[in-house]
Amino acid sequence: MPAPSAKLKTHPAEIATLLRGETGTISMWSESWNARRFLLHVTVIIFGAGLYGAAMGWWRDPQQALYVAIKFPLIILLTTIGNSLINAMFAPLLGLDILFRQSFSAIVMSFTIAAAILGAFSPLLAFMIWNAPPISPQTISGSTYNLIKLINVVVIAFAGMTGNVRLFQLLVRLGGSRAVALRVLFAWLAGNLFLGSQLSWILRPFIGSPDLPVEFFRASALQGNFYENVFQSLQQIFNN
Amino acid sequence: MNEQNPVPPQIPPVIPSILSSGVRQLGDDPLERVAIPNIIAVIEALLRHPRRMMFQLRQPGAGKLIAAMLFISIVCSLIYGVVVGTFSGGQQLWIAPVKIAAGLMISALICLPSLYIFTCLSGSHARLSEIFGLLAGMLMLTTMLLIGFAPVAWIFSQSTESLAWMGALHLIFWFIATIFGLRFLEAGFSQSNARSHAGFHTWVVIFLLVAVQMTTALRPILGTADTFFPTEKKFFLAHWGDCLNLHDSETKLKSRE
Repeated sequence: MPAPSAKLKTHPAEIATLLRGETGTISMWSESWNARRFLLHVTVIIFGAGLYGAAMGWWRDPQQALYVAIKFPLIILLTTIGNSLINAMFAPLLGLDILFRQSFSAIVMSFTIAAAILGAFSPLLAFMIWNAPPISPQTISGSTYNLIKLINVVVIAFAGMTGNVRLFQLLVRLGGSRAVALRVLFAWLAGNLFLGSQLSWILRPFIGSPDLPVEFFRASALQGNFYENVFQSLQQIFNN
Repeated sequence: MNEQNPVPPQIPPVIPSILSSGVRQLGDDPLERVAIPNIIAVIEALLRHPRRMMFQLRQPGAGKLIAAMLFISIVCSLIYGVVVGTFSGGQQLWIAPVKIAAGLMISALICLPSLYIFTCLSGSHARLSEIFGLLAGMLMLTTMLLIGFAPVAWIFSQSTESLAWMGALHLIFWFIATIFGLRFLEAGFSQSNARSHAGFHTWVVIFLLVAVQMTTALRPILGTADTFFPTEKKFFLAHWGDCLNLHDSETKLKSRE
């Protein structure tokens, strides 16, 4: 049996363990609080999501790249913190008897996986942006803009899905039941998507518009919410 | 041939006593018999070991436990009320918490007699104090979940001016939290030898109607008014209709601008 101190040691190579989804080791990590490991995961989120954000914003302007590099990890961290209490309460109520620390670290680990994937794809996105014509009203209406948007959606969806598949495997390991793990994952996903969408709405723009100035927040950041906007758009579609 | 059998005789496994309805009896698990000493343990028990809470509610001296649950419910609803009040700010920062805490407690109190009657009609042997305790547990779980939703509610309340949207969001959060609270109450109800759940389900409808009507009777909770209580009596559906009409006219005005 390994010495307890060995369990507490952290190494950047542990991210590979997360990506591989070695649930035995990962569930052991979640049993005890390790500040260094937590810091490692947060660092991966900041750098991984940050680099991807920078590549995304670079098309509009280097300053936009800096802003999105800050905003992308901020959304992930604020979503995790904002929903930490309700997620921790949902787990035992839905049949998974884990502690607040475990639910929090499980979600942080799933976001770490997603951020590591995003970070790995950031050079590819940057290369694509470098090859794209400069952003302008013409490119916005052309196929390049749609292609970049589509690639962003695909990469972010892939990163998110992989993170959640690994999270599901960990929940099965912790709870011993696929049905319970699925219930908890669904509740967590719903909450995180709900808050994450609104935070993304507040922190817009990401790619940026060529007609509007480069800024961290839009002047209308706190006017209306994401769902209100979707609802109004739907109303307009059905009224026309 | 050796007549001694090396295999020890099989001891029948200890099977927890099962009620005729198939429900395991409270107290079978030794963990359920452990007393709940403080408020932190009350929160822990309600979230992780609800059966322990149900067992303890049947023991002598359950009054303290019920008082603790009501205390936590009031504190949690006051905190959530402050978050609700941040939408309008000013006077609503104290009016909203007071109205939400009072509204929830009054709704529960109004519905307690009917819950007891329905429980008895269903063939249950639960005492009034036990039913009261289960109701207090339901309130506590609901308000604790509302606290969990509070950061999300606060972010939305800072980024929208629409009364209808915020009202709908708070109602959704309250509804989700209440579903979990009612699940606890039903689990407790199942332990009381009740023959049917029809009475309980009828009571759930009554409770939901009373609670939503309470939000109308104590309005405004989100918005502002010159008086603490409303000057006009309204049914909640009429109030919601008025709010939606107001929202539509505001949206049209904005789109014209």
